[in-house]
Amino acid sequence: MLGSPVGRVDEVGHDRPTSLTCRSLASGYEKKEVLHDVTFTIDEPSIYVVLGPNGAGKTTLFRTIAGILRPMEGEVLIDGVPIDRQSARDHLHYLSHTDGMPDGLTVRESLDFYARVERATSTDVDRVLDQLEIRELENAYISKLSAGQRKRASIARVFLRERGIYLLDEPTTSLDPKVAREIRSLILDLSRDRIVLYSSHNLFEAREIGRYVITLKGGGLTLFDKMENVRAAHYVVGVRTLEATAALGGWERKGDYYLRELSGPDQVPGLIQDLEARGVRLREVREMENPLEDLFS
Amino acid sequence: MVVGRVSLLVGAGMVVLYSAAFGYGGPLFVNIGTVVLPIFAVSGGLGGALLFSNDRMKGVLEYLVAYGLSPRRILANALLAGVVQVTLVLGVGVAAGLTTYLLRGYPLTLRLPEVLLVYTFPMSYLTSSLTTTVGVFWTSLSSPRAGLNSPIGVLPLIGVLPTAALLIVALTLGSYATQILLGGELIIFVVLLSLLVRTDRLMPPERLLSPA
Repeated sequence: MLGSPVGRVDEVGHDRPTSLTCRSLASGYEKKEVLHDVTFTIDEPSIYVVLGPNGAGKTTLFRTIAGILRPMEGEVLIDGVPIDRQSARDHLHYLSHTDGMPDGLTVRESLDFYARVERATSTDVDRVLDQLEIRELENAYISKLSAGQRKRASIARVFLRERGIYLLDEPTTSLDPKVAREIRSLILDLSRDRIVLYSSHNLFEAREIGRYVITLKGGGLTLFDKMENVRAAHYVVGVRTLEATAALGGWERKGDYYLRELSGPDQVPGLIQDLEARGVRLREVREMENPLEDLFS
Repeated sequence: MVVGRVSLLVGAGMVVLYSAAFGYGGPLFVNIGTVVLPIFAVSGGLGGALLFSNDRMKGVLEYLVAYGLSPRRILANALLAGVVQVTLVLGVGVAAGLTTYLLRGYPLTLRLPEVLLVYTFPMSYLTSSLTTTVGVFWTSLSSPRAGLNSPIGVLPLIGVLPTAALLIVALTLGSYATQILLGGELIIFVVLLSLLVRTDRLMPPERLLSPA
């Protein structure tokens, strides 16, 4: 297989891989094994959300698939070609949880640098500046950007050249909900017909974008299924008020908290607005039941 | 990259001032100015190591490794950055010193190119490269820290110590100074080469990852 083309040729002339396989994969750092015996095959272009609590091994999985960490056991294959071959690696784009943008450069300079690494052109840089709507930031220094702007610039780097497989490690972490939603929308838009692995610890985010879910716990694979098969779970918030109020008379109580089931965290701001409009003086609103706990148990 | 630029500007600015001052003193430039230049050149090596450390923290190296660049090539780029900076520092230093030296009407002797070729230039590039290499390996072994407690904080010593030690020995045994200097430079070169050969062992790709 060495030197042979990987994947099929699509209509615009780019090689595009059709499968990603992790076989009996064990990986980690130095002698510490973080991933244990992870096996799955992806052979359908779609968004696969990798879910897991902190420390579950999501980043280690991504780094191993990207060829940064060498497997302690098992292998990663792209259309049957091991990831340590450059021909296989060339089909991957990897977005790490850090933005990878040097502070001392402007957005344009950073993208030009990565374009040289990627063998992309200045036209490609112009294209992603427009696609990611960061044209007006072209001459701004990375150090002066907000978290959301940095993330956009970082994601722009990933789309300088088309690839068949995208590994996006928690791309919306530390972003406010509005920017996070915009970023998810951009990723959805830009990654059509690709294999996208998207890690998150937010089930609601996963439901919004993912067609498949892969869950990790303690470094092991616990679930690989269609998102629609993941059972519906409760999302319950508790509301504590400064004083007793009749407005919450019908609500279930648990200690000092009035409980309300919502379809997801996105509804929390609306709930708060509604309660305040009804004159309820809020002391605290907190998550009482996290469906992720059900999923990982 | 900002720290690299600052390091370069500070190094170049200082070396221009000192070299011009030594050039003004005539023979002082030949006897002391050229000897001091390699110490300034360490700032170039420091710049290479700082660049590496900064890029590692920002996740730039993680991306480059994912693209397929080897740690050896990444180190080579850091070394190249150091060498470019040293060349600039040396260039402006020698030019500033020589200009004031000639403007003051002092004659050119063979002693000046001899010192530059035997000591100033090779020692500058060697100590700078040693500083970069040790700095890169060292910072890759540790979690990023700031200030004097970080490897970067004590890195200048890595470059200055061999230079100073070699000078003291050469000056003490004056009649064999040239041979001692060349021998010392050969030892530093061998140490540097042995470190570079072991790059993949001393610095596997996971050492280049940004802190989690």
